[in-house]
Amino acid sequence: MIHKLTLQDHATQPHTVRGAGQDVGRSCILVSIGGKNIMLDCGMHMGYNDDRRFPDFSYITQNGRLTEFLDCVIISHFHLDHCGALPFMSEMVGYDGPIYMTHPTKAICPILLEDFRKITVDKKGETNFFTSQMIKDCMKKVVPLNLHQTVQVDDELEIKAYYAGHVLGAAMVHIKVGSESVVYTGDYNMTPDRHLGAAWIDKCRPDLLISESTYATTIRDSKRCRERDFLKKVHESIERGGKVLIPVFALGRAQELCILLETFWERMNLKAPIYFSTGLTEKANHYYKLFITWTNQKIRKTFVQRNMFEFKHIKAFDRSYADNPGPMVVFATPGMLHAGQSLQIFKKWAGNEKNMVIMPGYCVQGTIGHKILNGQRKLEMEGRSTLDVKLQVEYMSFSAHADAKGIMQLIRMAEPRNMLLVHGEAVKMEFLKGKIEQEFSIDCHMPANGETVAVTTNPSVPVDISLNLLKREMALGGPLPDPKKPRTMHGTLIMKENSLKLVSSEQALKELGLNEHQLRFTCRVQLQDPHSDSDTLHRIYTHLKSVLKGYTIQHLPDGTVMVESIVIKVSSCAEDANTKVLLLSWSYQDEDLGSFLSTLLKKGLPSGLC
Amino acid sequence: MRSEMEATDFQDALDDWFMESMKTYKDLHVYQLEDPTQVLEWTSGKTVCVAGFHPSKNEILQLHLPRKLLADENKGLCAERDFKVVHGGFTDGPVRCLTHVPGTRCIVTNDGLTSDLQVWSVGGDDSDAIKLTGRVKGRSNRRRRSLPGAVCRVAATRSSQVLHGAASGDVRLTELTSGQVLYTLETDSDEPLSSLRFVGDAVFLAGCSNGNVYVADTRTPAPPRLHPPPTSPGDPALWQTEASPGGAVVRLSACGRAVMSDTRSPGGAAGRARLEVPPGGRGQEGGVSWAPALDSCIAVSGFGAAVRIYDTSAWPTEPRDVPPLFEHRGHAVSSQPAAAAVLVTAHVWHPERPRTLLSAASDGSVHLWDWIDGSQ
Repeated sequence: MIHKLTLQDHATQPHTVRGAGQDVGRSCILVSIGGKNIMLDCGMHMGYNDDRRFPDFSYITQNGRLTEFLDCVIISHFHLDHCGALPFMSEMVGYDGPIYMTHPTKAICPILLEDFRKITVDKKGETNFFTSQMIKDCMKKVVPLNLHQTVQVDDELEIKAYYAGHVLGAAMVHIKVGSESVVYTGDYNMTPDRHLGAAWIDKCRPDLLISESTYATTIRDSKRCRERDFLKKVHESIERGGKVLIPVFALGRAQELCILLETFWERMNLKAPIYFSTGLTEKANHYYKLFITWTNQKIRKTFVQRNMFEFKHIKAFDRSYADNPGPMVVFATPGMLHAGQSLQIFKKWAGNEKNMVIMPGYCVQGTIGHKILNGQRKLEMEGRSTLDVKLQVEYMSFSAHADAKGIMQLIRMAEPRNMLLVHGEAVKMEFLKGKIEQEFSIDCHMPANGETVAVTTNPSVPVDISLNLLKREMALGGPLPDPKKPRTMHGTLIMKENSLKLVSSEQALKELGLNEHQLRFTCRVQLQDPHSDSDTLHRIYTHLKSVLKGYTIQHLPDGTVMVESIVIKVSSCAEDANTKVLLLSWSYQDEDLGSFLSTLLKKGLPSGLC
Repeated sequence: MRSEMEATDFQDALDDWFMESMKTYKDLHVYQLEDPTQVLEWTSGKTVCVAGFHPSKNEILQLHLPRKLLADENKGLCAERDFKVVHGGFTDGPVRCLTHVPGTRCIVTNDGLTSDLQVWSVGGDDSDAIKLTGRVKGRSNRRRRSLPGAVCRVAATRSSQVLHGAASGDVRLTELTSGQVLYTLETDSDEPLSSLRFVGDAVFLAGCSNGNVYVADTRTPAPPRLHPPPTSPGDPALWQTEASPGGAVVRLSACGRAVMSDTRSPGGAAGRARLEVPPGGRGQEGGVSWAPALDSCIAVSGFGAAVRIYDTSAWPTEPRDVPPLFEHRGHAVSSQPAAAAVLVTAHVWHPERPRTLLSAASDGSVHLWDWIDGSQ
């Protein structure tokens, strides 16, 4: 059986502009399995301003709408490079089928999409883009998934989500059609961090495991070193009397960083105030209450004991505090400095080189965040005014990704039969391919953009065996069959609808209402022999016994010789007593032996037989 | 209950060290390889090779330094802190020595079992593979004393020649492309080598484990100049010897005695010191190396789980306890308490950045650190 897997438009190209090096990419994979077509993720390429940012759907079908072609769409998590093109695909290209994603993803996706839309349309003045209504219409098509719950998309296609770590609500997905299956990892992380657990999957042995190759080629710096860098920067700024602004999205990293700062402040006995804008607190609490099962053990315990944001050193922010003298740290939304409180604070603090802004994640083009991360030091604000950016700008990546070790761990967990690594690099990844193939003895495919991969699978065909047949086989004795030494057995295979059954022939005939027919062959052989009938028979018996060693040969009192189940009778010819007529009779099953006997006896009996 | 407490204590000690590190290191990166390495070799200012030393199958990897470390301007705008595995290959035996041939894509390895060298090509043809392209014969397989750590030392030149040998009796210069032996070191002794280093285009120093240093020129057939160690009664007999590119020599014994000789007289003792040795003494791996971009500084590893930096210019003529200029304890602190004692297996200075080092340990950890000179 062959899966056709077409990789569509996946590109991971580093978009380095003046030292920023924000790596961007887009995920959108089309899988054909058992006659079903599934789209995995539908990301926007954030590095482009033109149509190249959307996946090229004409690849799938020339005549516009995708509903007939796709059986379902699955979104792994809320990052824009995985879901940014979803409203475009469903509302502008056209798709009305189900879109599957986890509950947290469903809650957070529309918020990010709307922010993204506002920035792109309102700020950048783009026209060929999806509208707010389109986002809402798109989300109406979403069917939420729970972890480890099998969902029947239709009679043949089923999917199941697994915990992926990485961000709140991120999932790896297992797709099964009949006896064939694929697992798509999306973005995942194999080590738990302060607020999320590690990815986990059972030994589901999919035919194919699909993952990003970037994981396999990185060796991650430890989490503590990243945290150290963050704390060091904050501390340096505070020590010189500066103010630190940390723009965050309501969820995820914000909690992590708060916990970190709280611990540090406690340990170092620091006095500078840390603030958290209230809008953030409410939203975050709300989401955490909803999705508590998605965070890790530690957070869950803490949450039960107290409110998420009851920190000793972190207080609620009031916008008047931004003008207070002296050092302070403020967490404010939104994360890309494109509007709201974080932008207001930024405008106030940008002019002082003692201050600092720490960007904890990727910023979309068109936002202030994106501009300053690209080294821009003069910004055009509303009303033609310019803002001189004198404060220190720091870009830190806290996103949790697996690495070379992690991908090997995942393969070990799931035990796929084939591996597929999606990559955007031009370099031939021979080493990587070799490493996976050697370690796990499986094929590793690494197609480039737009390339089609055909993966051959050995589906196992389950067949029920009737108890009688099984008992009969067991009664034959001998060693029990094992996978390395299979034993041949005979039976009749009945295929009814989608089930296969192995039964004995008699039972098959009965079930099918057929009569059993027996084929028997008879053959007459003439022999010259002067003895009496019974003596001739005895001579035949002796002869056969000497020739056919190892066979069951009996001389029966009723005047017949039996070789296995073949019957031999002797009678004299009416005209001549010396001409004997041998009657051989055998059933179809003993045809070979029967033919052999008739040929043998036609040669006559050797002299010297007594 | 006890293991939970141990775990918390461990986390606390680790946190303490990380907090302290904010004042003592400019940069700090901590990585975990799948397998520990005994070799750390720069193939450029941005790329380094590591390799495993299991008795059978091992990987050789070429790693690219994180962009964040390399970005001098706009460093704050770069978030990338990870190593990238840019090339990889497989080898059947352990890799005890790995040397890059400057100006080429070629590296040379030795497995410590024979004197032969394996020659590899790193990448090329748009591939990420490190492929075996040839071999260089070392001394023929006649019966050799099985010496602990009788690893080949290798020094390579820009003209694709390699100087190699495991003992002073079998040092030779081989041209890689033709396999031709261009020079052999003429000496009666056959002491295991602890180092082999070029100090000029053709002049090299061969440091032996008995402290002897040979200075020779591959262009002349003249016999090498021998500089025995400046020993006093009571001095140990086994030394790790290392020459700086300028020709200064440091000899370090297993019990921590160190003698520094300057370039003009590799046999003399310009300074002596007693370096700290933790209980348990010396492991086999690690060693001593001169800083390429800092005057008179050496880094010492192989004594437990730390890497220590010393300033040899301050060493007196009579041996005295000398404290290190800096001590990197990262490997010791971050190793799990239940695991076997961790040992630093290799360390190397960055070729250009004065205070940047890479160190590797027996638990597979690799640290990249840029220390702050507290004395300044």
